[in-house]
Amino acid sequence: MRTLLRHRARTALAVLGVAVAAAMLLDMVMLSSGLRESFAQLLTSRGFQFRLAPRGTLPFDTEATIARGTSIAVRLAAHPDIEAVSPVLGSSLHMMSDGGAVTTFGLGVHPALQGDYTLERGKDIIGSEDIVANEDFLRLTGRAVGDTILLAAGYNPLLRAATGERRLVVRGKARFLYLSAAQPAVALELRTLQEMTGAAREDRVSLMMVQTRSGAEIDTLGAWIERVAPTVNAISTREALANVDQRLSYFRQIAFILGAVSLVVGFLLVTTLVTVSVNERAGEIAVLRAIGISRLHIVQQIVIEGIVISVLGATLGLALGLATARYLNTILSSFPGLPEAIDFFLFQPASVWRALGLLVGAGILAGIFPAWRAGSLAIAQTLREEAVA
Amino acid sequence: MLLIAALLAVQLGAALPQSTPPRTIAIDQRLAEDAGLRVGDRVEVAADPDARGEIVIIAAITRRQADPSEIARAEPRVRLHLDQLQRLLVYGDRVDRFAVATSEDSVAAAVLRINDAAFGFRAHRSTDIAVETSETFLVVTRFHRAIGVITIVASAIFLLCILLIKVEERRRDIAALRLMGISRATVLRMVVAEAAVIALVGSALGVLIGYGVSAAVNAYYQVQYRTPLRFSIVTPEIVIFAAVLSLVLGVAAGAIAAQRLVRTPPLTLLGR
Repeated sequence: MRTLLRHRARTALAVLGVAVAAAMLLDMVMLSSGLRESFAQLLTSRGFQFRLAPRGTLPFDTEATIARGTSIAVRLAAHPDIEAVSPVLGSSLHMMSDGGAVTTFGLGVHPALQGDYTLERGKDIIGSEDIVANEDFLRLTGRAVGDTILLAAGYNPLLRAATGERRLVVRGKARFLYLSAAQPAVALELRTLQEMTGAAREDRVSLMMVQTRSGAEIDTLGAWIERVAPTVNAISTREALANVDQRLSYFRQIAFILGAVSLVVGFLLVTTLVTVSVNERAGEIAVLRAIGISRLHIVQQIVIEGIVISVLGATLGLALGLATARYLNTILSSFPGLPEAIDFFLFQPASVWRALGLLVGAGILAGIFPAWRAGSLAIAQTLREEAVA
Repeated sequence: MLLIAALLAVQLGAALPQSTPPRTIAIDQRLAEDAGLRVGDRVEVAADPDARGEIVIIAAITRRQADPSEIARAEPRVRLHLDQLQRLLVYGDRVDRFAVATSEDSVAAAVLRINDAAFGFRAHRSTDIAVETSETFLVVTRFHRAIGVITIVASAIFLLCILLIKVEERRRDIAALRLMGISRATVLRMVVAEAAVIALVGSALGVLIGYGVSAAVNAYYQVQYRTPLRFSIVTPEIVIFAAVLSLVLGVAAGAIAAQRLVRTPPLTLLGR
């Protein structure tokens, strides 16, 4: 400890260097697993194990819809392993105002079965004229819970007139789980939205969410669903996560590379500092050995030096890493179309401690080589060289 | 030849009987590689996997452009004659979009005139569409920039630490020089020049490593995403920035450490 305090500036820089390396390592560990875990939490938060999308597409990836939604839902719900089927139709809706039309995303759902939103204030949808809206919609339109509004499913630019208009009452304020930040949205009865969008969307849905009973064989059930409804893709939570993994593999790879570089930088920094420290104290170490201090004791002292730098750096790096993770998460959260609830950097204690443990382990390893050199110094020769110098 | 990109089922097998000679299509390289197709092959194209389609001849194999927005799109592409696709999709005389060529000066006026006519669609400038579709890449760029700043801070600390140690190692040499009568200013200049040389040699080595890593990154991701896009480019600006930064940091670290040493009495430096 005294040796470290003797060269304060050098020690402070080394600790700072290890701290930045630890912060980067921590961030990269959080990034490598964060997105996947965060997505998994989001997908399983409402207890639905399958998403059924039109064949060849992913949910809401295209404007394609599933025909004969009611009969498919009834057939699926009859399976003993299926607890509930929640059909969803998505469509753009427009609200005319003095400042022009406000376009919002509309979700047609069965309120009792839906897994798309959580109610924050007011009441849920009860009747066919009820809607719930999110904060962004209410802010953009200047409306509040309890207001009656006029929503249209389309706009005919030739006639300059709205089509599929309906007077609806805002019953509550909701938070939509799968929509991106700042996306205005409303939810209403599925039947109401189908009527508003006209004959082209009659009995059509964009997506069905399927809740299974515990113990259900997911793969077998998925194959059965696709046999019963050949126009859909039954995407299990595991498949959805695999898809996310594939689409965002870039972030995992960059996290692995930068994490490895951080570890190497931390290792090199500690090795360099401890090696220089040993070289400077070669005479002192030789004297200690000459008066009978054991080789093991010398090695211990030098390894401890490396550990102290690593532990101090890792502790400082933990705070620095959490702060930078929050900043980097703010940047990546602005990805277009990404659900608001998704976090790229997820704090998982086990992974974080493992990463910091790895860095401290690297610090111990970094101290071993200079410690071994110090322990193996030729006492007489070193003392002679010191005396000449 | 007016072509349109489309997603279609391409298969070999029984097709609808045709009285006219088969028409030609172009497919992209990924589809050709995955399905083992070559120019001159006959395939059946249909709008639906279960529907019977039309036999066509592959006339060309196209390569995807180096377009960032194409990276995440893994689906194969087929290009057909416009009327052919309209017939297959039972699309009537409809199209998804028009591309309008104008002179650079009249773009704004053309957009206004088209939108005023209100034919049931809107015109957008190509630059506006480019901004809209490149939002994802702007986010990635911002992320890279933030990671870059953290890396630069880490490198700067590493460099400062190494150079401080390097200069500290010269304490006995500096003491000897001072005892021989060499002035403080000369010793300072010598140490700073040495630090600058180390920083420059280090940055030259770093640039070489950077070029190597950049080539490896491009080779890996071009194969993974099957695109000619270059993911990493080492530009002259980046090289100059790295060299100048390491030079400034090296000189600063050398000067700080040397200042401390030349102010310390030579005998103290020698431990006497």
